[in-house]
Amino acid sequence: MERYWNEEIECMPREEMKKLQDERLVAQVKHVYENVPYYRSLMDEKGVKPEDIKSTDDLHKLPFLTKADLRDAYPYGLLAKPLSDCVRIQSTSGTTGKRVVAFYTQHDIDLWEDCCARAITAAGGTNEDVCQVCYGYGLFTGGPGLNGGSHKVGCLTLPMSSGNTERQITFMRDLGATILCCTPSYAAYIGETLHDMGYTTDDIKLKAGIFGAEPWTEEMRRSIEKSLGIKAYDIYGLTETSGPGVSFECSEQTGMHINEDHFIPEIINPETGEVLPDGEVGELVFTSITKEAFPLLRYRTRDLCVLSRKKCSCGRTLIKMTKPMGRSDDMMIIRGVNVFPSQIETVLIEQGYSPNYLIEVDRVNNTDTLDISVEMNPDQLSDKVKDMQDQEKSLAIAIKTMLGINPKVHLVAPKSITRSEGKAVRVIDKRKLHD
Amino acid sequence: MANVRQISVFVDNKPNQLAGVMKLLKESGINIRALSLADTKDFGILRIIVNDTDKAVETLKNALYAVTVTEILAISIPDSAGQLSRVLDILGSENVNLEYLYAFTGASDKAVSFVIRVDDNANASAALTKGGIIQLTENDIAEM
Repeated sequence: MERYWNEEIECMPREEMKKLQDERLVAQVKHVYENVPYYRSLMDEKGVKPEDIKSTDDLHKLPFLTKADLRDAYPYGLLAKPLSDCVRIQSTSGTTGKRVVAFYTQHDIDLWEDCCARAITAAGGTNEDVCQVCYGYGLFTGGPGLNGGSHKVGCLTLPMSSGNTERQITFMRDLGATILCCTPSYAAYIGETLHDMGYTTDDIKLKAGIFGAEPWTEEMRRSIEKSLGIKAYDIYGLTETSGPGVSFECSEQTGMHINEDHFIPEIINPETGEVLPDGEVGELVFTSITKEAFPLLRYRTRDLCVLSRKKCSCGRTLIKMTKPMGRSDDMMIIRGVNVFPSQIETVLIEQGYSPNYLIEVDRVNNTDTLDISVEMNPDQLSDKVKDMQDQEKSLAIAIKTMLGINPKVHLVAPKSITRSEGKAVRVIDKRKLHD
Repeated sequence: MANVRQISVFVDNKPNQLAGVMKLLKESGINIRALSLADTKDFGILRIIVNDTDKAVETLKNALYAVTVTEILAISIPDSAGQLSRVLDILGSENVNLEYLYAFTGASDKAVSFVIRVDDNANASAALTKGGIIQLTENDIAEM
């Protein structure tokens, strides 16, 4: 029996939803034009006036915002409300350059937490649940977002933040946590630690996990589900649009429903900016139509995915997005071939290896090199060196089949690759050091 | 003929990795009777025969090392020219394939001991017995 946090919105007929979006978009464009000089000048450059935007059909006329705009406008340039109306600041992890800060009014916090409440409810959460949040708390949106959503649903909330994994497991056991919220790489680590501590899934009460903030594969999902004895749900979001909860997965586990009453999605060709029809792969673009303090219009996420309006068995009518194939930032071009870490992860898990790996890309004599360190599978240890070298070779062949380029595979000892308690660092691109 | 159990441990080819294993065994009071380290660019496989195999395996597994146990043959031959050649001839005449071997010191300075890893323990053991080669049991080695 599917449960909804806001059935009226989540199952709203398409026509009604479009009407709601139209009204909200028109008002939002006016609000931004009047209050954000930075975006007003972008619109003026393009010759677009607020009156030109009469419905979502006119969305394509608006200029895009990119991460570069956010950096240029740092810190207050895209603020649409006086600071006296704002109650919170959150920030990106800053891994790809200068930090981006986002501002929230109380209304913005409420709608964000409401989105997270929808995600928790879709994962089966009710006020009977104990929700353990081990996303980082602080400037990172993961902890505060899910914490707020958990409160709304009425779960008993365990605000653990990340780290101290053995303590996480002690709390999980002692207080009977039923829902786990963290990054997928940390969930995998918690599962591994649980078993290393000598426990099994019988020793914990978890039933569901809500995992996001980094790309992860279907294979990784199955492996986490098995090791923690749960159903694992994906959640998506970014600081620029609010945080986690922009979209969330339902029991069908075939993509994430976008909270369209707050965020209008588009898929564009990343090269030309042209809007693509549903079903085509392209860059995801979001327009916030309800946020007050930091309302980004047509923000380019750099995430590549596909939108689908196919009817979902859960009953929700909200449009679905596929799991992002990776941020365009994560994509590496190695010997002219596009490579995503998620492709390599898929092969590793299929071949029975742990999802802990390190990719090192370098350039030697003008040729790109790809080295992948993988933790050997303890069940496959042989006393014969040749057997172990054969394992390296067959893994290299499987990866070559997937990517089309030859990697060098290095087996390393179990547990020797540093575990992540937040977003995992899986790629070291040394070519950048030479540039 | 009882085969002898050999423990193999996967170790990264980096400083201090072997030292870590040795420290662990020392702390558990385990004595190594025979040892060989096969190494590649990326990793090494440490092979050991100890005085208490079960305890050593448990200790290593608890410390999250990758460990496997293989049955090997151990022999003791006189420390004189041509003795090993004789052993290899016996194995060769039975078509036994030798994967690897390594020497270790036994109880007497008149004899030398070898670990022999073959693809067919039963056949090799029978051939060695027939050829008059002394085979050691796990107990013999533990009590050396």
